[in-house]
Amino acid sequence: MPMDVSTGLAIQTHQLTKTYGDLTAVDAVDLEVPAGSVVSVLGPNGAGKTTLVRMLTTLLRPTSGTAYVFGHDVRADPDAVRSVISLTGQFAALEENLTARENLMLAARLRGYRRAAAKRVVSGLIDRFELGEFAGRVVKSVSGGQRRRVDLAAGLVVPPRLLVLDEPTTGLDPRSRQVIWSTVRDLVAAGITVLLTTQYLDEADALADHIVLVDHGRTVASGTPAELKQRIGEQRVDVIAADTDGFRALLATLGGSFAVTGAPERRTVSVPAPRAAEDLAHITSAVRGTGVAVDEIALRRPTLDDVFLALTGSVPAGSAVPESAPVAARPADPQPARR
Amino acid sequence: MTTLILESTAWPAAAEPVPPRPAVAFRALRETALLISRGLRTIARVPMRLSDVTLQPIMFTLLFLYVFGSAIHIPGMRYQDYLLPGMIAQSIAFGVIGSGVATATDFASGVVDRFTSMPITRLAVITAQIAGQMIEQIIGMVIVAGVGLALGWRPHLSVTGLAQLIGVVLLGLFAFTTFGVLMGMLLDSPDAVQGIGFAIVFPLAFLGGTFVPIAGMSLVPRVIGEYNPLSAIVAAVRHLTQGTTTTGSWPLEHPVPAAVLYCVVLIAVCLPLALRAFARRTR
Repeated sequence: MPMDVSTGLAIQTHQLTKTYGDLTAVDAVDLEVPAGSVVSVLGPNGAGKTTLVRMLTTLLRPTSGTAYVFGHDVRADPDAVRSVISLTGQFAALEENLTARENLMLAARLRGYRRAAAKRVVSGLIDRFELGEFAGRVVKSVSGGQRRRVDLAAGLVVPPRLLVLDEPTTGLDPRSRQVIWSTVRDLVAAGITVLLTTQYLDEADALADHIVLVDHGRTVASGTPAELKQRIGEQRVDVIAADTDGFRALLATLGGSFAVTGAPERRTVSVPAPRAAEDLAHITSAVRGTGVAVDEIALRRPTLDDVFLALTGSVPAGSAVPESAPVAARPADPQPARR
Repeated sequence: MTTLILESTAWPAAAEPVPPRPAVAFRALRETALLISRGLRTIARVPMRLSDVTLQPIMFTLLFLYVFGSAIHIPGMRYQDYLLPGMIAQSIAFGVIGSGVATATDFASGVVDRFTSMPITRLAVITAQIAGQMIEQIIGMVIVAGVGLALGWRPHLSVTGLAQLIGVVLLGLFAFTTFGVLMGMLLDSPDAVQGIGFAIVFPLAFLGGTFVPIAGMSLVPRVIGEYNPLSAIVAAVRHLTQGTTTTGSWPLEHPVPAAVLYCVVLIAVCLPLALRAFARRTR
């Protein structure tokens, strides 16, 4: 008897672990994803998101622990798992020198459709994902966002029960992100369960019913977006002091009346601002009262760093460097992507 | 079998019934053929992808025929007839680089992830890689042979000689392509495969009796050349196309059995390792 009948779970893991020598990429993760829901695994680079996804999609064998997808054991019955899932990875898995239509045809033929049926399936996908405009163009000549949409469609030749999206919008422009988001919403409306990994809080917020925060391979918090936001505050006001002494003074003064967090390397004092403009006014007058010179006072949405700071008390491993620093200066991704 | 939980109204594509899955052996063949056709269609679209198996050997041929060739004298035969069999045999070894780079690229780009997360036979992914690369090499070889014929190469082929030639070439391609695929899986980046591949294949080629006779080399390269696997393949192709005999070592004196033996050993080592590496990389 398949497990999902009794539990209604699309994914169920227990103490799922993957180690590479001394490095524990995924550390005893317990995850339950109800069928029909959208769960987002949110975390910085190197948190173990891709490793987790690769275990769930049978591309990587767990070191220990168990994982079931719609009741099928990823270890004992990988072929059954593969027949109910679709994976869209971080990089579009398309043949660049073939057209979008040819790539979709290949995917359809590989799923067993004969040529005529495959043609019908492919034109259905092209209509549904509105790929018609560039379906006849060689993949390498279309935009990154269009490529992602073709890649997504290629994974949906046979509608999966579980769609796994590994960082589906990383590197895309804002408009393409919106298009991918609305596609994902359509798929959810059609009854597909979605597991989505992302580094963007707004993406998890926009799409997921449930967010699981991971760092260093561990689950550090989980809940609905509303629950998590309640815990971190909707928005924040950042006050950037002109110098380090000013920063210390601000931290001391504002700390007396607000629940502040400080980032010394950026000389930034961050204050929760649930009432947005009203709080901004309060904080601005409090700052003026101290007489400290400031470079900037700004209202902003919470970032992944705020979430981690609020929920775990520390900034995640990959984000120890200020936002403005070049990406290349960040510590190398400690997670071996595929092996 | 899984039943779909979707309403066809919400999912137009689902109106097409999911085909039943035939027997494993049939599926594996069909999927291999589909994956091979993916690579071949790419060649039709971007013929420059064949440049490493066509332009490169043609450049070598022109260079040696018209630049260095005047200084090379092979007793009893024209240099075209000496060089071209060598070029054809040499391209077997250069297949290591092409197949290695293609394999590393597929792994790095996520294409292998896509295929192996689908319910298709995993063996098809690797057999298609090997077979597709062999086909590319054969296309390149035919083009090089054509250019050689145009430049005055005159092979003397009997029916049995041709059959043996095809056998040796296919076996050699299988052996070196498998080696390349293995290397592509072990080294992560296409650039690394390119670099290391050249470092392995270049000495093999220059010490293989491709361009100049091994007998005239000084001691160290001569000994390496006499037992170089590629030397046996070069000598075998030359023997089968021109009827020449070579002396110096057992492999050179018995080039056809020696070539077959070397290839079988290479396959016996590389194929299980490649299958194992594939199973590891994809599980």
